[in-house]
Amino acid sequence: MFAMRDSWRTMSTATAPDSAPPRFVRADGPDKVTGTGRYTADLTLTGMLAAKFRYAGIAHARIARLDTTAARAIPGVFAVLTQADVPDVRYGGMVFDRTLFANEVVRFEGEVVAAVAAIDAATAQRAVDAIVVEYEPLPVVNDPEAALAPDTPLVHPQWQSYGASRQLVRDGNDASYASIAKGDVDAGLAAADVVVTSRYHADGSHAAPIEPRSVVAQWEGDKVTIWSSTQVPYDARAGVCDTLELPSNRVRIIVPHLGGGFGGKCGFHFEAHVAALARAARRPVRLQFTRREEFLAPDRRRESIAFEFETGVQRDGTITARRARLVIDNGAYTADAGFFSQLAAMHALGPYRIPNALAEAHLVYTNHQPSGSVRAPTAPQCCWALESHTDEVARAVGIDPLEFRRRNAVDSGVEGPSGQTYGEIGLQQCLDAAAELAGYGQPLPDDEAIGVAIGWWPSFASPSGAYVRLDADGSGQIVTGAQECGTGAVMTLRQLAADELGMQADDFQLVYQDTAAAPYDMGATGSQTLFNNGRAVVAAAGQVAEQLKRLAAERLEADPADIVLAGGVAHVAGTPDKRVDIAKLAAIAGGGELLIGHGSGAPPDAPELHGSTCVGDVSMAAWVAPQFSCHAARVKVDRDTGVARVLHVSAAHDSGTIINPIAAEGQVQGAVVMGIGQALSEGTRYDEQAHQLNPGLLEYKLQTAADAPPIAIHFVQIATPDAGPRGAKGLAEAPNVATAAAIANAIANVIGTPVRQLPMTAERVWEASLGGAAAAPTAPRTAGASA
Amino acid sequence: MSFTIALTVEEALTALARGARPIAGGSDLVVGARHGKAPLPDHLVAIDRIDSLRTVTVDDGGLAIGAGVSHDTIERHPQIAANWSALADGSALVGSPATRHVGTIGGNICNASPAMDTGAALVVLAATVELASVGGTRLVPIGELWTGPGRTAVRADELCTAVHLPSPPAASGSAYLRLEYRRAMEIAVVGAGAAVTLAPGGTVAAVRVALSAVAPTIVEVDGLPTGDLAAVGEAAAALASEQARPISDVRASDRYRRHAVGVIARRAVLAAARRAGGESIAVPVNRALGIGAAS
Ligand SMILES: Cc1cc2nc3c(=O)[nH]c(=O)nc-3n(C[C@H](O)[C@H](O)[C@H](O)COP(=O)(O)OP(=O)(O)OC[C@H]3O[C@@H](n4cnc5c(N)ncnc54)[C@H](O)[C@@H]3O)c2cc1C
Repeated sequence: MFAMRDSWRTMSTATAPDSAPPRFVRADGPDKVTGTGRYTADLTLTGMLAAKFRYAGIAHARIARLDTTAARAIPGVFAVLTQADVPDVRYGGMVFDRTLFANEVVRFEGEVVAAVAAIDAATAQRAVDAIVVEYEPLPVVNDPEAALAPDTPLVHPQWQSYGASRQLVRDGNDASYASIAKGDVDAGLAAADVVVTSRYHADGSHAAPIEPRSVVAQWEGDKVTIWSSTQVPYDARAGVCDTLELPSNRVRIIVPHLGGGFGGKCGFHFEAHVAALARAARRPVRLQFTRREEFLAPDRRRESIAFEFETGVQRDGTITARRARLVIDNGAYTADAGFFSQLAAMHALGPYRIPNALAEAHLVYTNHQPSGSVRAPTAPQCCWALESHTDEVARAVGIDPLEFRRRNAVDSGVEGPSGQTYGEIGLQQCLDAAAELAGYGQPLPDDEAIGVAIGWWPSFASPSGAYVRLDADGSGQIVTGAQECGTGAVMTLRQLAADELGMQADDFQLVYQDTAAAPYDMGATGSQTLFNNGRAVVAAAGQVAEQLKRLAAERLEADPADIVLAGGVAHVAGTPDKRVDIAKLAAIAGGGELLIGHGSGAPPDAPELHGSTCVGDVSMAAWVAPQFSCHAARVKVDRDTGVARVLHVSAAHDSGTIINPIAAEGQVQGAVVMGIGQALSEGTRYDEQAHQLNPGLLEYKLQTAADAPPIAIHFVQIATPDAGPRGAKGLAEAPNVATAAAIANAIANVIGTPVRQLPMTAERVWEASLGGAAAAPTAPRTAGASA
Repeated sequence: MSFTIALTVEEALTALARGARPIAGGSDLVVGARHGKAPLPDHLVAIDRIDSLRTVTVDDGGLAIGAGVSHDTIERHPQIAANWSALADGSALVGSPATRHVGTIGGNICNASPAMDTGAALVVLAATVELASVGGTRLVPIGELWTGPGRTAVRADELCTAVHLPSPPAASGSAYLRLEYRRAMEIAVVGAGAAVTLAPGGTVAAVRVALSAVAPTIVEVDGLPTGDLAAVGEAAAALASEQARPISDVRASDRYRRHAVGVIARRAVLAAARRAGGESIAVPVNRALGIGAAS
């Protein structure tokens, strides 16, 4: 069906367009690779001060005394702020449960109690140390499952008084409850030949971008400019406006090059703290995080989740019912995690045909660092647990796991677990492609095995805007609200504009990451840039194309509808000789009506659901242009030590049309390696008092280049209803979904039993192979098949 | 505060006598200070430009490695790889290429981390450490160098100038292995070095095994038998697990370390024996044999 050129390349596909899409090197690549690119931390402004935060250092306590007198008295200190110095405003994503500084109570160790601006970082640190804080310790809520028990202390006793999205179902420590129900799950389980129950637990983890975050703020009169390493400049602006009570046109957020984010830099982070410091100090101020702060303070780490599954299956491998219950660690504040419960419930049901389903998820307050969107939030953990469970189910009825998925996975025209009937989708093709690339079924040494997992991820429709203009010399400019966080999606916009105008990508420069210059975009979040901003750029470029066609039509004495823009030339359709250079048209327009286009385009509507009931519905069960994937991992396990090594990963993806293969492959490679880390080595550990035990790169183990295996990639490209420009969906998050799950199934195939905790560290693999005496505090009950 | 750049051993010793601390690559000292382990000493003497500390000499007496020799040099030295393979295995595992270029053997042993990667190798290869001060020079057996985690018998006015390793007897081989969760920038979860001398017929005539990351210092395994190789390997596993005094931390539990150090000790013995038998196993043996993080 397809030939493998080499393991790092895209496979040619049966459905690929006749002319392969261009493989272009992103415009910001050379800057970043050669070190000439400038990041927020590289900025220096005249008179700039250094900011430092005083953190709680304790997970749950009442502030009995907070005295900044000594800190203020230190020479070189320009400002010391606490909650008393900023507006009394609560903010949050869907629950307004947080203030800029701790307000009477601290709820996690990384909570900001006070901030200092001083002449240099050392002075600022001395001042921070001189702040006197006395605490009355409060009981620490350390275990999300226990936090749901009626007698557990509340992390937010005043939760009822907080403003919150109406859709959220909240109750005490349960910040967001969601369920998706279809059919009759009890009847479905009763009708099954075999019911398999399993428990799994995924530890929390971190986005760990290479650039620790940095924020610089400078006031000019009553306007503030903030340079920030954010993935979401407009969201950051909204946060500043809400908490400092400013209109949006007085806050300008600029993002220099961003050194990665992986979701960890979504949301509003400390921009308001630095702006408030700069205003109080009457000087520009820079906050520069250390790696340790990057681990402890942001409200964006990947949530831990405890899972219980029950799946009923017929002997012939047909799933009759599935019940899932999830407890998700929200941490101390809800950040943007309000939608996690419903999204996780979807992922716990998975891309399967299930006539009777019930998934329930609780997002539970604890005294941990707040959870927030990290690359495909909830999905890799849910996929890991569900797909491990699915292999248990397949084994229970003696069906090969690949075949089991072929029979039960959704397909075009099939109804999924939330009652959505999918249009053209390529999941079955993904299963075939990944298995073929992996050599599924080949004989392997007895310490190696292949594991397979399927995953899915929505496309997020959102409003988005862009301007496109051609200047008198014929060169183009795209002004976009989109944010480049390293995925290359913004870079791809040049190709879209160029194609629309019959020009080259190199003919366009980008103005981006400046909220004062460009119209709104959601930012580098939800894999949405190409999907939504691509639509906006195509619309904006389309307006310029119309202008060009009118100009050309006048000169060529033709109908504008017959003008074709291609190869830098406007010509009459069917008469290539009747032509005029686009540069010439631009020069003419430069002396008259300028070539300026603006675009947004209507985002597609959410699909309808039939036959399901969603409690706590936050629109995460009806997916526009869903993306599908299948990963197959070949893993070698050292049985004596439990050390697992991933030897090869095949990744097949239906993400719609691939516009720049280099960028697309890069996303898959990076996400797979991140997935290997999540599978084997990345996990946050807490002590009894809810302190992170490994907030640094020494003990929080990312994968290194030396660990990256060969990765074979295949894109299934089929016509998708409601997709983005040219049929593209998204791709930044989807390839992070199924890798850990595929590795888990490979490990289970070698050692004969699943590892029920993520990450599947060597020690956990070894313990599981001994019979599951895992000595972790969250050790799940062992599960098995019951006939 | 003072920072002296010494160009000769004498200059360094004079600075030490005045209370300065030596800094070689700084990959323990500076990194530790940045992480709040211990503040930088007020007075430092940089020894990284002293040429005489950066020489490797092989003669009839054996191998002499200057204290300032980098892990990279050790890893790539053909004679070290051939005859003192365990040391090359250890140096080759240190950090990343950058760490191996700046980090020195003197710094590694004087830093005295129980998880250091050259220590177990140096013990089984019977190394002696040369310590110099303005008062003279003394030789200390490697086993007496470490007195606790981060503590050594090196006096404040002493500089480690070299490490001496005797030439191994005929039909000998050595290997150092560590258990690791990833293949670069890793710290030994547990490690084991072994040196084996084979008798004609392939039985074990002599064997030494030392362990890293399972006690406050590198420890040598006592009471190993000789004779049948497989039996020696099993005994090494059992005795290593028994004699280890591991702790539980974020890297591993004591229970797992105790188990794993036995596995690694056995594999070290078997790898050393293969080398003793003339087989060439590339450095580091971790990568060549797929031990720890399998290949
Ligand atoms: C990223 C990273 C990864 C690492 N990975 C590993 C690893 O995998 N395995 C491993 O074993 N180590 C590892 N290390 C630790 C370190 O690199 C090694 O221990 C290295 O050999 C130290 O040498 P140095 O020259 O940099 O020592 P320095 O930091 O210069 O000195 C260390 C200590 O020894 C003293 N000292 C140095 N030279 C002398 C001398 N000649 N005489 C007396 N005292 C002296 C210093 O005063 C100081 O107390 C790693 C370090 C980093 C930063």
